[in-house]
Amino acid sequence: MSEKLNTAGHEPEKTDERRTEISKFSLLFNRLGIYVVVILLILLGMAVSKGQFFTAGNVQSILEAVALIGMVSAGLIFVVYAGNMNDMSIPMTMALGGMMTVQCINFGFPVALLVGIATGTVIGLINGFMIGKLRANPIIWTWGFNLLLSGIARVTWGGKQLYADSIAKDTDFAQKSASAFYSIARTYIGSFISLMAIVMIVMFAISWFIHSRTAFGQKLKIIGTSYDVARFSGIDCTKTLVLAYTICSVCASIGGIFFAALRKTASYENGTGYDFSCLTAVLLGGVLLSGGKGSVVGAFGGVLAYGILNNILSWVGLDTYSKYLVQGIVFLFIVWLNTYSNRKLGKA
Amino acid sequence: MMKDKKFRFNLNFVNTNRSYFFLALILFCGLFMKNFYTAYNVCAVTGNGSLVIWLGLGFTICLIAGHMDLTVMYMSTLSALLCLGLHTLNGIPWGLSILVATLAGTLTGFINGLLVTKFKIHSFIVTLGMQFVLKGLMYIYTGGAELSIGRDYALNEALNARLGFLPFSLYFVITTAAIFLVMVVLRYTRLGRNICMVGGNLETAWLAGIKSNLVTTLTFMISSTACALGGALNGIYSGSASITMGEKGISPLMIALTASIIGGTSIYGGKGSVVWTWIALVAIAFLKSLCKKTELQVLVIAAILILCIFYETLAQYRKNKVVGTRPNLHLEYLEETGKKA
Repeated sequence: MSEKLNTAGHEPEKTDERRTEISKFSLLFNRLGIYVVVILLILLGMAVSKGQFFTAGNVQSILEAVALIGMVSAGLIFVVYAGNMNDMSIPMTMALGGMMTVQCINFGFPVALLVGIATGTVIGLINGFMIGKLRANPIIWTWGFNLLLSGIARVTWGGKQLYADSIAKDTDFAQKSASAFYSIARTYIGSFISLMAIVMIVMFAISWFIHSRTAFGQKLKIIGTSYDVARFSGIDCTKTLVLAYTICSVCASIGGIFFAALRKTASYENGTGYDFSCLTAVLLGGVLLSGGKGSVVGAFGGVLAYGILNNILSWVGLDTYSKYLVQGIVFLFIVWLNTYSNRKLGKA
Repeated sequence: MMKDKKFRFNLNFVNTNRSYFFLALILFCGLFMKNFYTAYNVCAVTGNGSLVIWLGLGFTICLIAGHMDLTVMYMSTLSALLCLGLHTLNGIPWGLSILVATLAGTLTGFINGLLVTKFKIHSFIVTLGMQFVLKGLMYIYTGGAELSIGRDYALNEALNARLGFLPFSLYFVITTAAIFLVMVVLRYTRLGRNICMVGGNLETAWLAGIKSNLVTTLTFMISSTACALGGALNGIYSGSASITMGEKGISPLMIALTASIIGGTSIYGGKGSVVWTWIALVAIAFLKSLCKKTELQVLVIAAILILCIFYETLAQYRKNKVVGTRPNLHLEYLEETGKKA
């Protein structure tokens, strides 16, 4: 009798084995896949560029292209991780952060910087209140809020572009702060590492610490996995979500300030398209769209892969418009792979 | 108590009919404008607003099915370019080129639906990616150039011509006919009822025996086909098509979303009407001619959109707060024990 039971007990184990085999691959993709992709892309880039991939100029251009996306992604990961898909108000948060900084340049550069970041904080708090407290639909609310902010910015400044040196008064102090504002995007440490890249890496380090070493990150994981479970286990979901959105918007506004400094203009069109490209980078890094899975280290890899992919596409000789096609297809493929591995891991 | 109830301002009634009130408000404001109620102005305004009505039709039907279709704008632009390109560059007659452009829309909708149902990707993300694929295809087809109608003005004039004594162009009348056709489909056919049910609760619909994957795919196909047809007709109506068609000012996609929500389509899916969206879109078209400044248009439209989302969210929040509770427990107790007079 006992033997029979034993043999009967063996059969389901076999099916279990098969399951773990599949999920090992998926797990591996989720954990490390992106760095394999990065290495493959680097090899491809070296082949395509005929050995000119690691010249100072190319590395610098990759880092500069990546830096802005990286800054925003370091914050966006919290929103995606909490299961809220995407923050569509990123473009206007970036634009308004830059515009407010330029507008306040007369009070000195540090004050202007703080005003820009405070703008982002306020936007994040409003988003967090609506989504965390009142449970608005995250996409539709942030999208509509983006339009409202764009309307406010357009009416306030009459649809004009702002230039820091023309807004700054004729005093020595104001002109100095304007030139300090321009110089933050053009400072290089060593031969080819720009200040922007260092800021991005520092922001990623901070966001890695918040994400994996604090109680907030752990709470966010539970909320992303299942909102109801989190609520019933006594987590203050409202507070956590407000914090997540605030971090996201602060990071976006810092990115916007650097964007305005890099382009030397601040206008309401500054951040257009960043919601999409940052989401692509974050998803490339293995963060699940449905929330609760992923890591900041992976997202950093995703950002690198996105930048290197763009660089390779320009080495191949594709113009900006054909890039759209490739980016769209890559995006769809990555999302499919993401969802597929997710399903194989047993998470709907 | 009873007196208070009788004279209470019925906010719910205002909310359900908010698109009518919106249109009435815009039309009332038009009384104070010069040359607002001339036949020429009305014809031009409704004609120029027709493209967005097609987009709103597609967006609303997807929102009713519980999905979002962001490709609507690029789909219509692509089909306008395709239609004009086939006619002027390749010399294909109008009928066939409109048909090809529309079929391109159907194909895109089919791919969207396939990615959503079979590959189980969220519709928002699928269409976000498809948007960029379509944008890239457009640039590859035209090389960034603007296509014009050439010297063949017959169909253009026919679409622009006023229809009898009505102050509407033929293009607007076709658009309206399409809206009411979809309304009839949604309200009186099996497919339409299934779309509403899938939007309301996908799992219940599947358990009730509805082929939910087929219905979802068909919804995306209807949406994209409508947008492609509207885009092709708009290309002929306006005589030219460029890649940035309608990107000036507010993105038409944003207007479609705004109109769907003002029109009372639920953001949770399952509830809504194409006709309400149509009314909201006509109101927005008149609003555009009312205030000419783009900045102000954006602010007004965004404010109305935010107000609607805020109201809906608050209503849902209040509803969720009392789910599972019995707010009138005290009254029930009094009634059961017979202490209430």
